[in-house]
Amino acid sequence: MSAERLLVDIEKRYPAFHLQVRLSVGAEVMVLYGPSGAGKTMTLRAIAGLLRPDRGEIWLDGRLLFRSDGRQRALNVPAHRRRVGLVFQDYALFPHLTALENVAFGLRGPGRREEALRWLRRMRLEHVAHHYPSQLSGGQKQRVAIARTLATAPSALLLDEPFSALDPDAKGRLQRELRELQAELGLPVLYVTHSLEDAFAVGHRIAVIAEGKVQQVGRLEEVLSSPASWQVARAFGLPNLVRARVRAAAADGLHLDWDGLELLAAPRDLPSGREVLAYIRPEEVRFIYPDRPLSAAVRHNRLRVRVVEQRLGRDFRLVRVRTVGPPWAELEVRSPPGTYGDLPLDPDSELEAAIRPAGIVVLEATGPPVEADH
Amino acid sequence: MLSALIVSLKVVGVATLVIGVVGTLLALLLARVRFPGRTLLELVLTLPLVLPPTVVGFFLLYVLGRGSPVRDWLGLDLLFTWQGAAVAASAVGLPLMLQSARAAIAAVDPQLEDAARTLGRSEPEVLLRVTLPLAHRGILAGLFLGAARALGEFGATLMVAGNIAGRTRTLPMVVYDAALNGDLALAAQTSLLLSGIAFLALFATRRLEQPAQR
Repeated sequence: MSAERLLVDIEKRYPAFHLQVRLSVGAEVMVLYGPSGAGKTMTLRAIAGLLRPDRGEIWLDGRLLFRSDGRQRALNVPAHRRRVGLVFQDYALFPHLTALENVAFGLRGPGRREEALRWLRRMRLEHVAHHYPSQLSGGQKQRVAIARTLATAPSALLLDEPFSALDPDAKGRLQRELRELQAELGLPVLYVTHSLEDAFAVGHRIAVIAEGKVQQVGRLEEVLSSPASWQVARAFGLPNLVRARVRAAAADGLHLDWDGLELLAAPRDLPSGREVLAYIRPEEVRFIYPDRPLSAAVRHNRLRVRVVEQRLGRDFRLVRVRTVGPPWAELEVRSPPGTYGDLPLDPDSELEAAIRPAGIVVLEATGPPVEADH
Repeated sequence: MLSALIVSLKVVGVATLVIGVVGTLLALLLARVRFPGRTLLELVLTLPLVLPPTVVGFFLLYVLGRGSPVRDWLGLDLLFTWQGAAVAASAVGLPLMLQSARAAIAAVDPQLEDAARTLGRSEPEVLLRVTLPLAHRGILAGLFLGAARALGEFGATLMVAGNIAGRTRTLPMVVYDAALNGDLALAAQTSLLLSGIAFLALFATRRLEQPAQR
């Protein structure tokens, strides 16, 4: 990670909501990921100066944009002096101005027209320079909105679910363009989305936010395979979240009791009897060929399952099964599309499966009960 | 009638200016700022719409007359002058302007104003380059209605400015005098003139209220 450019440590209380966000963003695309209502947009508005936090600090390139200790003394740079570019979810283009006038809106002095034109060309929009927003397609509107923001030479770029309303084609193109622009301008970019696909396409790092708090920050694959808390697992919509009880922490691993089924997870020091939440990675559940010698990968955590349904995607095979015997719960099994070609995986087929101990991620013990067989 | 036409034009000119400036500022205040007593202020400002004009005129006698700040502090004696008539016309025309302008400003998406702020524009610039341009149709429509109402003002004007030929006698008063004196031709001519202007104002308002052709 590069040096920190944008530092956010803020708090805001509402009667039924508490926003508490700590983030540091370098010259990178940081994805702010979370369910709706998690406080993502609120965070962007606070950084842009459109929402005043109760307390905390916001720094951008060594400039203090906001500081308050929650009492009287406060420093609050108004939005128009922050040099923070914000691209709104539904573009917020000025309907009474042409594309060119929209882009020139934040520019001053002679040459503003030329500068605006330069940005329109950069975003391949010169042919619609004199169109009004209502005459533009969704992708064009979004590019005008980005050009308008970047034309003001901001020190940071914030995007609020920027491509959620676009078709896959336009979305893919814009995602690539955004990464190119980020690399070219060396800006800290904070990108809000609730789509994992989006996050993978643009993000260098991800910050998972839920219930007003940043739960985990890290590289995407890292966070996805090792969620730090049940909130993160929930935010990702991860399957195979199960409640279990620690039987013993031994040298060979952590022995768990999942409603009557004994599981061996990677070694971890937890007291016996502790209730934990575990995430069983779907790609770490393997089916066992009855007629082949067992490999090391399937030595532990064997269980009989019955197929509920299977789905084929472009780059995965997904099988949902239910355990035959305790805990009588559903599991998702994910594998590359070519695997298990000669195994019977039609609904109601019964076969044996195994879970690699390293594929069982024990999450923090706290959290509300989850339905083990969702 | 010519002198009355000139008085009416002066009165309506000043009233339109007052309604336009004061009305826009008050509409902005009512549409965009939350403060205690906002509803009360709005109701008080709308009252002239439903009160008998003579009652409005009676209140204005207090506002402009002896012992009032306008007269005693500013040294302005507006009673029985055409300027006084303009004040009465403004008070009666203002509610129509407010209704229309306030709705138009409230309909401007606050997110557009936020966008302008993040693009480096200060509050006055946001107002002049985003809010007012986007609300201009409703504001103009309200201004036409208010001006038309100011032109037709009779009761409050009579109370505040009287009916002095060549000084405060406006076109509606010409109709009243002519009808009382049996000069039906003059009454009819003046009535037709006022009706024509009112019709044009309503027509313009109607055009403005139709959505933009974009």
